[in-house]
Amino acid sequence: MVGTGRPLAAGKLSASSPCVLGPGLYTPFRRDVTCLLTMGPLNREAWARRLAAFRASPSTFMARAESEDLGLDLLSDLRSDKLSEQTKVSLLALSLEYSDKLWPDAPAAEAAVTSLLDTLILLPPRPSALRRPLLLAATTALVAGGALGPTSEASCRLLPLLLRLASGQDVGRAFGPTAEQHPLQATACECLRELESCKPGLLGSSLGLLRSLLGQMGPVQPLSLLLALVLHNTLVAQSRSGVGLQGLLVAGASSTGGSRWDWTLAEEGDAHLQPQAPSWPTAEEGECGLSILEPSPEEARELRAAVAQLLDTSYLLTPVAQAHLLWLLGWAMRGLRGQLPMLFKPQLVRLLGTAQLTLLHSVLALKATFGEALFTTQDEALLLRRLTLAAQHPALPSPTHLFYLHCLLSFPENCPLGPEGEEAAPLLLGPQLCRGLMPSLLHDPMALLAHLHLLCLLCAEDEEEDKGQAQSPRQFLVELLTGLLQRAALGDGPRALATLCFQATYLTASCLAGQPAILTPLIHGLAQLYQARPSLVPHFVDLLDRVGPELGEPLRKVLWQEVVTRPGPGEALGWHLQMLAEVAEGGAQSATLSFLQATAPHCTDWGLQQALLQVCRALLQTSGGDGLADLLQMLARQLEDPDGRDHARLYYMLLAHLASPKLGVALGPSLAAPALASSLVAENQGFATTLMVQETPAPIQLSVGRQKARGPLPVLRLQVEALEAVYSMELRFCVKGQLYEPLEAIHIPCLCPDRPTHPLYLTLKPRRPAPTQLQVQALYTTTTGLTCHAHLPPLSVNFADLFLPFPQSPKGSELSFFEELWDSCLPKGVESRVWCPLGSQGLETLVSQHLEPFVVVAQPPTSYHIAVHLPPHSMLLLRLEAAQADGVPVAIRTDDWAVLPMAGDYLRGLAAC
Amino acid sequence: MAQRAVWLIRHEPGTSFGGTVRFSRRYPTVEKRAKVFNGSSYVPVPEDGPFLKALLSELRLLGDDKDFVESRDSCSHINKTSVYGLLVGGEELWPVVAFLRNDMIHASVPLVEQTLSPRPPLISISGISQGLELLFGIQDFLYSGQKNDTELNAKLSQLPDLLLQACPLGTLLDANLQNSLDSINFASVTQPQKQPAWKVGTYKGKPQISISITEKVKSMQYGKQDIADTWQVVGTVTCKCDLEGIMPNVTISLNLPTNGSPLQDILVHPCVTSLDSAILTSSSIDTVDDSAFSGPYKFPFTPPLESFNLCYYTSQVPVPPILGFYQMKEEEVQLKITVNLKLHESVKNNFEFCEAHIPFYNRGPITHLEYKVSFGQLEVFREKSLLVWIIGQKFPKSMEISFSGTITFGAKGHNKQPFDHICIGNTAYVKLHFRISDYTLTGCYADQHSVQVFASGKPKISAQPAVARKKHLIPKHWSYRQFLATYRKLISSDYYIWNSKAPAPVTFASLLS
Repeated sequence: MVGTGRPLAAGKLSASSPCVLGPGLYTPFRRDVTCLLTMGPLNREAWARRLAAFRASPSTFMARAESEDLGLDLLSDLRSDKLSEQTKVSLLALSLEYSDKLWPDAPAAEAAVTSLLDTLILLPPRPSALRRPLLLAATTALVAGGALGPTSEASCRLLPLLLRLASGQDVGRAFGPTAEQHPLQATACECLRELESCKPGLLGSSLGLLRSLLGQMGPVQPLSLLLALVLHNTLVAQSRSGVGLQGLLVAGASSTGGSRWDWTLAEEGDAHLQPQAPSWPTAEEGECGLSILEPSPEEARELRAAVAQLLDTSYLLTPVAQAHLLWLLGWAMRGLRGQLPMLFKPQLVRLLGTAQLTLLHSVLALKATFGEALFTTQDEALLLRRLTLAAQHPALPSPTHLFYLHCLLSFPENCPLGPEGEEAAPLLLGPQLCRGLMPSLLHDPMALLAHLHLLCLLCAEDEEEDKGQAQSPRQFLVELLTGLLQRAALGDGPRALATLCFQATYLTASCLAGQPAILTPLIHGLAQLYQARPSLVPHFVDLLDRVGPELGEPLRKVLWQEVVTRPGPGEALGWHLQMLAEVAEGGAQSATLSFLQATAPHCTDWGLQQALLQVCRALLQTSGGDGLADLLQMLARQLEDPDGRDHARLYYMLLAHLASPKLGVALGPSLAAPALASSLVAENQGFATTLMVQETPAPIQLSVGRQKARGPLPVLRLQVEALEAVYSMELRFCVKGQLYEPLEAIHIPCLCPDRPTHPLYLTLKPRRPAPTQLQVQALYTTTTGLTCHAHLPPLSVNFADLFLPFPQSPKGSELSFFEELWDSCLPKGVESRVWCPLGSQGLETLVSQHLEPFVVVAQPPTSYHIAVHLPPHSMLLLRLEAAQADGVPVAIRTDDWAVLPMAGDYLRGLAAC
Repeated sequence: MAQRAVWLIRHEPGTSFGGTVRFSRRYPTVEKRAKVFNGSSYVPVPEDGPFLKALLSELRLLGDDKDFVESRDSCSHINKTSVYGLLVGGEELWPVVAFLRNDMIHASVPLVEQTLSPRPPLISISGISQGLELLFGIQDFLYSGQKNDTELNAKLSQLPDLLLQACPLGTLLDANLQNSLDSINFASVTQPQKQPAWKVGTYKGKPQISISITEKVKSMQYGKQDIADTWQVVGTVTCKCDLEGIMPNVTISLNLPTNGSPLQDILVHPCVTSLDSAILTSSSIDTVDDSAFSGPYKFPFTPPLESFNLCYYTSQVPVPPILGFYQMKEEEVQLKITVNLKLHESVKNNFEFCEAHIPFYNRGPITHLEYKVSFGQLEVFREKSLLVWIIGQKFPKSMEISFSGTITFGAKGHNKQPFDHICIGNTAYVKLHFRISDYTLTGCYADQHSVQVFASGKPKISAQPAVARKKHLIPKHWSYRQFLATYRKLISSDYYIWNSKAPAPVTFASLLS
């Protein structure tokens, strides 16, 4: 029953239980066959149905309950004797395409690869169509499942097997008849190349081996591509790390034996996958962090020999493979000093004769990579001529022409003049060369636009030069655009023709914005197009929204003229109103209003009324005025549809009540979803956001600063820091309870984050001398004109913030003044004594820092008499005497007993301040 | 340099989805790399259903163009190459290489080995040309010699196996799928060392070389003073070399008669090993003068097994083979038309066929026709609004023929008569279709002196070829008989004669002359 059952589940694939497969054939990797649940394999039809269902929608299939088994069933049925080879190939084809779905994680992939390799070994030694796909499937599963790595047993099994196959070593009778060795060798090379692509450096230590293989025996193409990739990856890795080739090119066949796989280089290069193609343009050094590698003379000789070997046999490769080789080698050698680029020279003449797409593309890549080092000015001119020729050759298909045309406009010049990254006609590409690349009305839309772009670029360049010519490119451009406009005007023509015309207009306007000789006839033509086919309004609106002012402004004027001077309403009234809503600002408002007044009676259905109101809305946004108010009032009375009337009334109200900047903002683009039944409702939602006060996060930060106590009432000094620009800000303060009288708001005209701010002063009117918290609210206008409000964090008013000094007593009478106050406190008030800790500071410092303004009598450093007026009518008197090292006893009297606990807290907390 | 996925989608206008996916292939290992390279700009390859929908919409093939759709119709949504960005699930999949041929959309997604934001220029992405080449290869395989849907389906069913050979892990190894098919069949043959990858196996049998030169002539004739008529010859030289040995070297020379028109814009097959610089630089961009290189054009190459296009060329012959004049005037409800055709005396007056098609676009069906032809017969397709003037095998001795007539049209039926966006108003054309065998307009030919073969292998004496037309030759330096067959033909292609009484689409070149 070997290999014919089906595994129970992925988790049950046990790594234990090696088993004996037959006489002399033992493998420790036979993981799953011993613990299989015996079930019959699906037949061919069942598999065909299952595969079809999976392919139709893999995600739907995988969402089903039974889908989990697909990967396992597939693996086990590959060994079934009942299925034909063709069915098994189709199973493998599925696993090649969807191995990431069948075995998505590393353990599942590891188990799958093991099973696939076991299946491979179990194949009878006769020709079989399964060996190649099995190798490919194992490679794919290993990479796609993320299992490739030194700790993966499957990797350590697959890699040496592939390398042995690739090097043509005898891998035993199990690998089929001799006739199959060649295709298998090629496939093994392919698999290794894919593994190296996904894990650069994997085969770095086999570089010497691969080189010797290429010298000895075929197949040339797979070995060449593999060697070129390994060489590329090695060189890129070496230039990143800055070390030499370390003799890798001449190393022997060390890793093919039974010894362990060398993962060192793969792990060094593991941080990044390496692009196999240059990013563009690349002639500058160091762009990709590559240092210039200077190989030792011996290494340089070996490298040169290896590259020459690859290039010399490159004609044996298919054109696409040759191109691949050139990309790889070109990119690999860009960081190398010396004459290496010249090795490519003998290949170029051969390659330039063909216009084979991938080959010419790879020559362009070499041009971009090496520039003048490989292409002299004459070579560059020849390449450009061949490219120009290929871009128009009648024997080549249109997609190829268009790609070459793109390449022309991105041509990697030896001495580029224009800004990098923008499409431009190369300097050497004069009008003579471009004659065959001009657009024609007979082109299909894509080709026409591509050729038109080139024509526009040429027109932009030689503004002066073409004067006096019988037919200048600019004249030709104007005639071409006229032809396109005429085609777009065809009443029953497809929309694609209109789209093409507007795309051509946009392209021309973008390239030739400053050339009235072209734009003026274009505008005239567009006006005629509008006359002929008003239903193209959406295209016009789209164009006006996207072009610059050079075309946009005059076009708006002309189209406005077209609309308002039309005689009477016609079938296209709805389109005209739509157009007017877009271009209303282009002309005089009085004429627009007259047109609307004349039109209003003809707007009999909801759609037309809405279109009419849209024009009013556009006018509201830009101008307003009495005429508009009259019109809106008239509409509010006369329109048949109630929605229309409401709408008109709303606009009238807005016009009457809002200043024009506010109106502009209110009617600006709204975030409200427009898909509601009534456009009025939708619009109201827009207004709601713009006209109502919005709550926002605080745009400023407020903090309480220190304030010198003076005057009859305590004043808070507030520091403001603006987080964004705000205008007309009103700060409102509110005290909970009845402790203070209501506070007045503070107004600030403007605050900007980058400008210094003045402090704000807030006068407090306490009803009782008590600390509190102030609630703060900010009301302001944003730069976009929205009114917002925000709650700021509450501000604390401390007990000390309420302190006010007594009026200064006459010189010499301070003590008696204090004694009088002291005596007056009793019997109504209270007396107490507290211990005021001094901390590290002395009494003198403490007083000067906190109580200086209130000192009446001072005998530094030992004695202070302090009198504090607490508004509205209280006082706090302190005697600080006989200070000791760590504190001072304080005698307190106050006429308000409620103050006493706060005074005590205050004094005790002073030292900590 | 690899592809993430490939699709073939049959465009089926009028069906619910607008098309069906006939073939698709994904490459998970390449996808894995795409994820790493593209980083945060990575967009996964979608399943077939969403891809089909997005692609048809982008290519404007859903047939629903009644309303303006911004994502499709906006003036700034400009595509200048066959590379698209598709909106799938709110993200944009880019680049997607796609084109429509024979109702089949060929599409692939090449790997880009860097981030996609900002988008790198297409020229920097090696996978773009590779993707196009793969799709061209598939197209050539599907449609070469294919005549009906059954054959197409048979070929489609071969594709999975062929791609397993030609593009097993996403990197294209050979765009010539026929080659891959042969390599499956040749799998049992042991391949010798240094066998070219583009040549699976070796030929065994009679040595024989066949060379076929096909010239297509296209022309735009306006009959106007200020607009120059244009014409151009495009030649294709096809070879099939049945020669023994792994790498036989062949040199074919194309010759021109003394007054022949020089060949220009020569593009050669990649198997050509070297080229004379005169061939490389001979170009239609330059003005032709007497000093222009006029051959012989030597092409040394090692032939592949199958028939291949050795080279393409263009040429500017001094006169067009048939000079035409077309005049169409609208007189009240009638159209009056006159067509004159003149065959140039230097052209071989022996056609396989020669026809002038006179279509009338954007009008109703033909209801009434009165006409006079000086030569040949007229076929009338009333519903299609088309006249076909069958001229036959020879022009009369005078070499000039004419047709005149008046036509009345009925009311325009809905979608029955052809629409054309060029032929607006009186803009109209006559299109000539003809073919002359054993003749080239440039005079280009290959004969027994044109072919040299240096092949290893035993001399082989063969019998006379079965086809009597084939000439055989025994050059002195050859050690065995070599059989050569040459064919030549001239075919018309886009041969237009425009109504001289109305505007016509002109090319820049016609205005310059």
